[in-house]
Amino acid sequence: MNRTLPVSQFIKHIQHVINLKTVSDNNYSNGRSIANSILNKPGLALTGYFKDFNSSSLQLLASTEISFINDQYEAKNTRDMKKICDFDIPAFIIQGRKKIDQRFIDDCALKKIPVFRTTKPFQKVYGEITSYLEDFFAPSTQVHGTLVDVYGTGLLIMGRSSIGKSEIALDLVERGHRLVADDVVTIQKKDENVLVGKSGGEYTPFMEIRGLGILNLKEIFGTRAIRVQKRVELVIQLEDWKKEIEYERLGLEDDSIKILDVELPRVKLPIFPGKNITVIAETIALNHHLKVYGYNAAAEFNKLLMKKMKRKEKLNKYLDKDYE
Amino acid sequence: MITENVQIINSLGLHARPAARLVKITSGYDCDVFITKDDMEVNAKSIMGVMMLAAEQDSVITVKCSGPDENECLKDIKELINNKFYEE
Repeated sequence: MNRTLPVSQFIKHIQHVINLKTVSDNNYSNGRSIANSILNKPGLALTGYFKDFNSSSLQLLASTEISFINDQYEAKNTRDMKKICDFDIPAFIIQGRKKIDQRFIDDCALKKIPVFRTTKPFQKVYGEITSYLEDFFAPSTQVHGTLVDVYGTGLLIMGRSSIGKSEIALDLVERGHRLVADDVVTIQKKDENVLVGKSGGEYTPFMEIRGLGILNLKEIFGTRAIRVQKRVELVIQLEDWKKEIEYERLGLEDDSIKILDVELPRVKLPIFPGKNITVIAETIALNHHLKVYGYNAAAEFNKLLMKKMKRKEKLNKYLDKDYE
Repeated sequence: MITENVQIINSLGLHARPAARLVKITSGYDCDVFITKDDMEVNAKSIMGVMMLAAEQDSVITVKCSGPDENECLKDIKELINNKFYEE
């Protein structure tokens, strides 16, 4: 599904950030929407060249465009330039203090295209708008799981319904960690390798524990018990213990899971009554820290072991024919 | 109960990965499996124990299996060791 961003919503969010003022908007922005995250500088489109023109993107007019538009009106040569208004353009944003010909604004109004202006520096405007648009249009998905911040590591606990995800999260929160989302986690891809999760319905502090009903962790444990969003770094997959399944014994091989095409390390954890998953979850988070810093316990252990065997081998060879 | 001496022939010896493969096999059997080397006896279903032996190339370990499926288990262990733990 392709999301679109209503212009009015965009303006509401961005206006205080870059001090956006309305130049002409007679309710034009209602019903208009932005289709993608590109902030387009029309450039050649103003000359009447429309090949690959991103007409459904927000259009940014900076000093070059303004000068060109003004010159065209001055020279009464606006036939090609005005064609741009025939497209379904969401809105024009004028950047800078340079005056734009009123006739251009009138021509836009004729086609009901809203025009806004900001006097903030170009880089700032470009950066703020792009980052807002990219954020809005970032790919996102929902997963069934529980996201907890454990020692600063975003731990996504997954597994079948009623396997005990919420109980583990509750246990972790009780031990000082912070809940991000329970049951439905909305995950957004913020960058090529960065996933950020938050509560699906923005109900962060609420969770259901079977037998107790709905709880509000913020009220019970205080504001330290929750956090609004967190980067997802690690997945713990809870599984019912099965005798015939082989579980990881060494930790030399890394398992992983792909969410929105981002590969996350995954630990498959068989559970059974009486097993303290909370401490294991904390340990997994800390061990992940170590791995990030370049330390792998299994690899270190193996290195030691091989060194020891090499030493013994040499000693045995030396002593082999030593009969004195 | 059956006992047999087996020589480790792979060049890196019984390090982490071979130990994991060995434990995977022994864990699949119901019989008790113990390995002895240089007066050290360990349970062959425990990975830390098996690695603790630090059985280098050319060293000889004693495998002891006891239980209903001891014959099959010992056969599998020997096959793994003699195939250099499928490492080389």
